[in-house]
Amino acid sequence: MAGRTIVVTSGKGGVGKTTTVANLGTTLAKKKNSVVLIDTDIGLRNLDVVMGLENRIVYNLVDIIEGKCRKEQAMIRDRKLSNLCMIPAAQTREKNSITEEQMKELCSNLAEEFDYVIIDCPAGIEQGFKNAIAGADTALVVTTPEVSAIRDADRVIGLLEAALVRNINLIINRLNARMVKKGDMMSTEDIIALLSVPLLGVVPESEDVVVSTNRGVPLVHDRSSKAGAAFRGMAGRLDGESIPLDGDAGGLLGRMKRLIWN
Amino acid sequence: MLGILRRIWGDGASGQVARKRMQFVLMHDRIDITPDVMEAVKNDIIKVLSRYMEIEGGSVKVDLEQGKDFMALISNVQVKRVYRNAASG
Repeated sequence: MAGRTIVVTSGKGGVGKTTTVANLGTTLAKKKNSVVLIDTDIGLRNLDVVMGLENRIVYNLVDIIEGKCRKEQAMIRDRKLSNLCMIPAAQTREKNSITEEQMKELCSNLAEEFDYVIIDCPAGIEQGFKNAIAGADTALVVTTPEVSAIRDADRVIGLLEAALVRNINLIINRLNARMVKKGDMMSTEDIIALLSVPLLGVVPESEDVVVSTNRGVPLVHDRSSKAGAAFRGMAGRLDGESIPLDGDAGGLLGRMKRLIWN
Repeated sequence: MLGILRRIWGDGASGQVARKRMQFVLMHDRIDITPDVMEAVKNDIIKVLSRYMEIEGGSVKVDLEQGKDFMALISNVQVKRVYRNAASG
């Protein structure tokens, strides 16, 4: 059976696409799935540094597509998980070095070997975006609770629908619960009502994210991080587990509360 | 402090302000109707209605409003008088 091809996109830059790809990919691999991550941000690659694999790049995505190497040669294996690997973007090329057709073919080839193919989409809605979504059967749209990110997410959702991407799910990143409580930030409910897309999960704003990218070790390895727990919850739901949406940030205490209340 | 004062003056918490602004912005982004087209819609409504009644042209407003699951075009037209036998004309 062919694996799933998932694109992580947002429209706006800097909302957490790459962090999401790294953490969902790592969690899915920890759950014994075979996972390949593809950085399609040609010219501005970053998934390699977030994953801590920047020193091991030899070949890249454009090399595979131009036939300069076999795709196995460009795949970099994760330091901790042998069933997780990454294809880096080319750093000195341009977005139009590859076409939508080529991406579609690569994704379907990879989906035959891997359980999950996760594509890190560049910001914007130009050729790089079109390439990234071309081979995807599912899209995860990342937004933050800010007007500019939400507006761009809405635009991207429209484009995904027009491109006939069947499953579109929303990830709200960097939610500050204290500000929502004060009324100074749009709530999860507000954002879902505006975008009308099913929610995969909410990641609380957290300093842990900066620390984890500094080190190049995905957050989900840290059992104590609430943001990490949110990513683990989302990966579980993607993988077909029934994890309640509000339980992600709770940790052990939250789980016990649920046991008592439900 | 500034925030508290603003709330006392009825400006609303900024989260709600953002939500309302986004409802408006997204609606316009989605329908992709330019102000020119809205103006043309308004003029056509005036033209059609004028066959049947005398209306206050300057008072006509055409707006798109977002409901929970629908979008509505709402127009308020001030009618001065309805022509007799207008339908046959």
